[in-house]
Amino acid sequence: MTRRDRALALARRGQVITGIALAGLVGVFIRALVFTPIERTQGPAQKIFYVHAPAAWAALLAFAITGILSLIYLWLKDRKIDSIAAASAEVGLAFSVVMLTTGPIWGKTVWGTWWSWDARLTSTMFIFLLFIGYRVMRGAVVDPEMRARFSAVIGIMGLVLVPFIHMTVYLFRTLHPDPVLLKPSSPSMPGVMLVTLLTSVGVFTVLYVGFVMQRYAIAILRDVKEEAASAVS
Amino acid sequence: MQYPDNGAYMVVAYVITAVVVVVYAVSLAWRVKQES
Repeated sequence: MTRRDRALALARRGQVITGIALAGLVGVFIRALVFTPIERTQGPAQKIFYVHAPAAWAALLAFAITGILSLIYLWLKDRKIDSIAAASAEVGLAFSVVMLTTGPIWGKTVWGTWWSWDARLTSTMFIFLLFIGYRVMRGAVVDPEMRARFSAVIGIMGLVLVPFIHMTVYLFRTLHPDPVLLKPSSPSMPGVMLVTLLTSVGVFTVLYVGFVMQRYAIAILRDVKEEAASAVS
Repeated sequence: MQYPDNGAYMVVAYVITAVVVVVYAVSLAWRVKQES
C-alpha cells in the first residue's frame, strides 16, 4: 500500500466519522430544540448554549492538542507531528467561528450587548487571531523545517492560553457565566439539560476527530504530490 | 408560562452552526477530491 493509498483510506475513514457526527448533530439539534425544556429567565435563546459551549470545547481542545503536538514536534522533529498539529489548528479555527458567532448572539439577548471587551471574550478573540496568524504564517514560509518550527512556537503560545481562558471567569470580573461542567463542584444544570449538553459535547468531539483525520490526509496527499513533482523536475 | 421572546436569536445561532459545520465538512471532502 502506497503513502497515497493510506492517505485516501484515512480520508475515507474521516469522512465516515464526520458523516456519523453530522447525523449526531442533527439529533442534538432535535433534542435541544424540541425535547429540552426552555429555561425560564433566559427563554429560548438559552438553547444557544447547547451549540456554543460544545463548539468552544472543541475549539479549545483542538488548540490544546495543537500545542501539545507542537511540544512533541520540537522534541522529535517529526514532520508528521507538525502536519497533525496544523490539521488540528485549522479544525480549531472552524469551531472558533461557531463559538465566536453564537456567543455574541446569545450575549445580545441575555446581556443586552453583542460584545464586551472583558477578559474571557478578549482572550478568546486573541486565541482565534493567534491561530489565524498560525495559518497565515504556514502559507507564507516555504521552508518546511522553518515553517514547522515557527508553527510549533505559536502552537505552544496557544496551549498556554487555553487554561488561562478557562480561568478568566474566576480571575477577572466578566459578563461570561462560570463553567457548568469543568469545575470542582458538580454540574450546575438540571439533568435533562445536562444530557443535551453532554451529547452535544460528544458529537462535537467526534466531529473534531473526523475533521482532523481528513485534514491530515489532505496534508499527506499534498506532500505526495509535491514529492512526485520534484522527482519529475 | 411566559418566556422572553428571543426564539429568533436561537434559530439564527443554530443555522450559523449548521452552515459553518456543513461548509467545512464539504470543503474538506472537496479538497480530498482535488488532491487525490
